Amino acid sequence: MSGGVRTEVDVGRGLVLRNPILTASGTFGYGLEYEPFVDLTALGGIVVKGISPAPRAGNPPPRIVETPSGMLNAIGLQNVGVERFVREKLPALRERGAVVIVNVFGSSEADYVAVVEALEREQGIAAYELNLSCPNVDKGGLAFGRDPDAMRALTRAVRERTGRPLWVKLTPNVTDIAEMARAARDGGADAVSLVNTYVGMVIDVERRRPVLARRTGGLSGPAIRPLAVAAVDQVHRAIDLPIIGIGGITCARDVVEFMLAGARAVQVGTANYNDPAIAQKLVDELVSWCRAHGVGDVNELVGALEE
Amino acid sequence: MPFDVIAAVTDQRELGPDTWLLALDAPQIAAAARAGEFVMLGLPEIDRMLIRRPFSIARVGPAEAGAPRTIEIVYKVFGSRTAMFSTLRPGAKMSVLGPLGRGFWLPEPDGPRELLLVAGGIGIAIFPLLVQQLGARAGEASLLYGARTAAELVLRDWFAERGVAVELATDDGSAGHHGMVTDLLEARLARPARGRRLVMACGPTPMLRAVGDLAMAREVPCQLALEETMACGFGVCLGCVVPRRNPEGEFDRFVRVCTEGPVFDAREVAP
Repeated sequence: MSGGVRTEVDVGRGLVLRNPILTASGTFGYGLEYEPFVDLTALGGIVVKGISPAPRAGNPPPRIVETPSGMLNAIGLQNVGVERFVREKLPALRERGAVVIVNVFGSSEADYVAVVEALEREQGIAAYELNLSCPNVDKGGLAFGRDPDAMRALTRAVRERTGRPLWVKLTPNVTDIAEMARAARDGGADAVSLVNTYVGMVIDVERRRPVLARRTGGLSGPAIRPLAVAAVDQVHRAIDLPIIGIGGITCARDVVEFMLAGARAVQVGTANYNDPAIAQKLVDELVSWCRAHGVGDVNELVGALEE
Repeated sequence: MPFDVIAAVTDQRELGPDTWLLALDAPQIAAAARAGEFVMLGLPEIDRMLIRRPFSIARVGPAEAGAPRTIEIVYKVFGSRTAMFSTLRPGAKMSVLGPLGRGFWLPEPDGPRELLLVAGGIGIAIFPLLVQQLGARAGEASLLYGARTAAELVLRDWFAERGVAVELATDDGSAGHHGMVTDLLEARLARPARGRRLVMACGPTPMLRAVGDLAMAREVPCQLALEETMACGFGVCLGCVVPRRNPEGEFDRFVRVCTEGPVFDAREVAP
């Protein structure tokens, strides 16, 4: 409860978040970088930067460019690797009592399994989010996210090794995202999070070269919000599985929009860069919005479109 | 610890062609700012500007009366965002996050020093705060300052008035040496030092590369202030990385300009 509004949401396998506002992987570091700005425990949860078995250097720069109402990035999953994450980041997050969802990345099924097996020995992890959708790496990520059979098999391989809640993060760069959501469900996922970024490209016309060193990147921010809302609506109508909505959220109205489309929770991404305190502000704004609209429980909003 | 504030514009002045000085009422940031650090500047409404932009803190003021209240930014109109910034007038509100990054570091003054500040174009914007913080020791500094034309050599008198020896270079010969600022540095480094030498540089990437090479060839300590595109300014977006090299000169890992920099030891980075 917060300000007379019930904010708890059940996102599957018994995981109840104190509110539906999470932060999106890749935009919130390991959480600790945001401590000067945010009370990490006030959020529904934080999804940390994608973790791979070994550290990754990431792509050469330039890696980011602003676009109309958005941003294109090709970071390439630069991360400290699972060993250092467990040793240096997780203990601090655990001590603070933050709800930690670990985004898991690999180049092969064995990589994903290896990361999860290493994390299974650790306390203080609320859920895993399998990154089967990163557009900015040569192997893994998107390759699994575009092939329903590969997605089902990989999800099942991880499912067999953990009793923790398992989310699959979906790419929108497919013909039918609902088919991919079904594959994740059939593999044993407890929830799906969507969308990851859209493949995009910006060209410097003076130099006649792509702005990003990797040529293409992933588009995020308010520019993709209507696309993401449509994807959530499509998946919500196709399957009965908790959905975590992602895509250009900047205000409470946007959160409500995703929830009406069928999301039980949301992740805030690019907006964290503009305002590092925004996720916490959105918790309060959402409660105010609900009060002003006579909504006593945020769950009343989930999929509550007038048909 | 950085502060994220909504600050009012208190001054906006054109210093030269497309070059502006913007002052903001941000006392917490002004009090905490160290030379070489930066702020992320945007507008209070996210709908109007999604990604803030990094700018060096050029100066804090007023210097006369107690603690400083304002920070000043010196910037060049380059794209649509900076063009929009230049239309803001006193009273307009901006969102400001800072101070950020690791600025210049000065050796303990255990004797006479010869500080060589090398500025190319709008790279001048990082140096006034350094001179403010040198205070009475500003006379230890020389400014080697290059630009395309004389009109672009903004703030040069401000440095001279504070006891800094100013040497100029222009591409068109309209002021000072007709040639590159690195020519001035090369000539200076060939002369006997007046004390412990330290080079600090900010400017276009080719200039930084040349300055680093000149200083390292003579084993003079050198700090380079880098600029890269960044989305956050506090270490999470990983957009602003540059390759770091190990002592053997090989690629080691990517480091973030926003947190490991923006000022780096020339031996660490290859701009």
